[in-house]
Amino acid sequence: MDVFHGLIQGFEIALSFQGLMFVFIGVVVGTVIGMIPGLGPITAIAVMIPITYGMDPAIALLLMAGVYYGAAYGGAAASILLNAPGTSEAVATTFDGYPLAKQGHAGKALALSAIGSFVGGTISIILLTFLAPTLAKVAVSFGPPEYFALMLLGLTAIASLSEGSTIKALISGTIGLMIATVGIDAQTGTARFTFGNAHLLEGIDFLVIALGLFALAEVASLIKNRKEKATNMHSVGSLKLTKAEAKEVAPTMGRQSLLGFLVGVLPGAGGTIASFMAYISEKKLSKNPEKFGKGAIRGVAAPESANNAASGGAFVPLLSLGIPGSGTTAVMLGALIVLGIQPGPLLMNDHPDVFWGVIASMYIGNILLLILNLPLIPYISRILLVPRQLLISLIIVFCIIGVYAVSFSTFDLYLLLGFGVLGYVMRVIKFPAAPMLLAFILGGMMEQAFRQSLTISNGSLSIFVTSPIAAGMLLVAFLAFLVPIIKSRKSKKNDPAENNKSA
Amino acid sequence: MKKRLALFALILLMVVTTACSSGSKNAGGSSDDKGDSGEWKPDKPIEIVAPSGAGGGWDTTARMAAKMFNEAGIIDQKIGVVNKEGGGGSVGWAYVASKEGSPYNLFVSSPPLLLVPLNGQSKYDHEDFTPLANVIADYAAFAVKADAKWDNLNELFDDMKKDPSSITVVGASAPGSMDHIQFIKIAKAAGVDITKIKYVSDQDGGALTSLLNGSVDVYSTGVAETVEQVKAGKIKVLGVTSEERLEGDTLSDFPTAKEQGIDATFVNWRGFFGPPKMDKAAVKYYEEKFKELSDSKEFAEVREKYGWDEMYMDSEEYKKFLDEQKEEIKGLLDDLGLAK
Repeated sequence: MDVFHGLIQGFEIALSFQGLMFVFIGVVVGTVIGMIPGLGPITAIAVMIPITYGMDPAIALLLMAGVYYGAAYGGAAASILLNAPGTSEAVATTFDGYPLAKQGHAGKALALSAIGSFVGGTISIILLTFLAPTLAKVAVSFGPPEYFALMLLGLTAIASLSEGSTIKALISGTIGLMIATVGIDAQTGTARFTFGNAHLLEGIDFLVIALGLFALAEVASLIKNRKEKATNMHSVGSLKLTKAEAKEVAPTMGRQSLLGFLVGVLPGAGGTIASFMAYISEKKLSKNPEKFGKGAIRGVAAPESANNAASGGAFVPLLSLGIPGSGTTAVMLGALIVLGIQPGPLLMNDHPDVFWGVIASMYIGNILLLILNLPLIPYISRILLVPRQLLISLIIVFCIIGVYAVSFSTFDLYLLLGFGVLGYVMRVIKFPAAPMLLAFILGGMMEQAFRQSLTISNGSLSIFVTSPIAAGMLLVAFLAFLVPIIKSRKSKKNDPAENNKSA
Repeated sequence: MKKRLALFALILLMVVTTACSSGSKNAGGSSDDKGDSGEWKPDKPIEIVAPSGAGGGWDTTARMAAKMFNEAGIIDQKIGVVNKEGGGGSVGWAYVASKEGSPYNLFVSSPPLLLVPLNGQSKYDHEDFTPLANVIADYAAFAVKADAKWDNLNELFDDMKKDPSSITVVGASAPGSMDHIQFIKIAKAAGVDITKIKYVSDQDGGALTSLLNGSVDVYSTGVAETVEQVKAGKIKVLGVTSEERLEGDTLSDFPTAKEQGIDATFVNWRGFFGPPKMDKAAVKYYEEKFKELSDSKEFAEVREKYGWDEMYMDSEEYKKFLDEQKEEIKGLLDDLGLAK
């Protein structure tokens, strides 16, 4: 009964004039910022912090929360329409979202992502409402060895993301792992692979690689193939899903929302891992895995449901323990401290208005987002109707602004260009880019977790098998890695011609 | 270009005027110089750089100081806070270093201004800037899980002396930076072999999680970060690094290292600096204004709200204090083999 009492109190705040206004502002700002590649939720919230000074803490947090999940909504647009993922959470959406747009189904892909986001968001809020205190235990159940196992499990996606040659995918992933080591090493404070260049001390930013490998490489392909009149890209298509399609994606959205929420609850794991895991598990579950990567609707619904559910899940450790679950919630935590609230395990008792106000506002925010986003789709996707020459220049401009806005460093622009060239060359020689990006995202965290574990265990690897959670995930990871290799060995033996092709 | 020219002209003008007036100021005596015609006053908005993202300790200090300066009517000019994030502060410092002589570009800093250069990650250190005034102090706390077997620092350090490999310390910053050094300093004073201490850095916000699930044993952090967890009965604080017990609910229950017989303290000082070669008259102006701020009841409320201690130092004291601190930290880093 306490929950309902709390929710009523929360809705009183969220439905007040001020509450509604700031939820609305939050989700609108979040959506817009999410759509622009390069301006992620962290930037958006950092911009909001000075505005929230002197505000009622509950209102301030519901504004920032609105920006946060609003950005997760908006992030899909650039991924689907331009192949330019603005945040790491939106990378998996490009895999099938962009092919769908190319086939003239941009409207459908965007609608799927909006609905998937809504379902993911709503399911996660319901779970957050009723299970936050219970799940708090889950949130702290992961230490360094468990995180290492989780990241490794995420990396097995490399095998699933490869079209054709697994070896090429592994090489691409290894390069990604190498890039992740650039910068100051967190465990020793030593600069690695910076070649004395101060710009590399912070490491290479995700956006530089993502926009280079995906967006700029795509632009180069578009330029090269400009004579081809092939694409249906100039049509947006209908927003409507057929009954069969709706039936196909409904279970996807349901289960991937659950998965996304659970991954989101773990501090540090977050939306990126959730969206990749959702994509891969959906591909594995599918009867037609070969359709994935070529415009499968489940390939859009899965990551979008999962990453929005994860952003709800990230509020579990934040609100119930005072532990930030992601970079963005860490910024929110900082903002709360500035407002004079020290978040911690007692937040729910000491500041029920903040705790329940935010949760109630998320119900409203999600509905607002769906109402806002669906009618906007035809307008947003008009960007595809722009003549191709202009569209290409526009994508390049977006990429440059996005990268520059993060670091204000021209060095990063050269890097962006470098990764664009690399991405294009990789396309030409048929090396998949997704494994590199995935390995880069997970590699840094995985290495830190690995070394933290070994420091704790005084160098003994047994730490990874004595924890049942870690051992279980490692087992799944190795199976996920070995099975496709064994399978491909078998098929190669059966078909030597295939062998020649992929070599 | 025009802007730069104008700025240059302004600076030139100021240098000339202050140079002319410095004689009269000396003659006027240093005790009371109000009404002195050579006094510097800002005639355009002032910028305070927080060399970090929004929401952190530096940002909060800068924003609160800016707000209270205006609210308490100490400075009439507008004060804007700008975040220059990156490199553990070095991006912001490089920015202010480029504003040589400007009396309008301040920044807020704390021990990382000494630590980051000593770790070889910034080419600017406190000697490159003009210290204006220190304003507040914060302290470190060493926490363990609520059901841990240690009840005070001596029990913990005794176990560390017996078997250093059995205890892991976690902090949110890299080895050689604040969370690490504050623990090392106290442990060294207690007679622990600091080269054998196992320190794990978790910069993704997982430090507290690792403590709560038992992956690590000790959490080295700021006092404020522990209060809510202690109230909820999740962790206990074995010691804080202040000279005397802190004031306030829960805070006053934390024993100091000193009262446990370990003769060492660690201050997370926080103060304001100007660019290199800032004019003396401007330094004097800010020194006085920060003193007024520190003494105001508005700022006292801010300190109470965030659990900060009052610690005012003027420019000269501050410089001396920083030189001493630097030597001390350098010694610790040398012992650890981390100095560059």
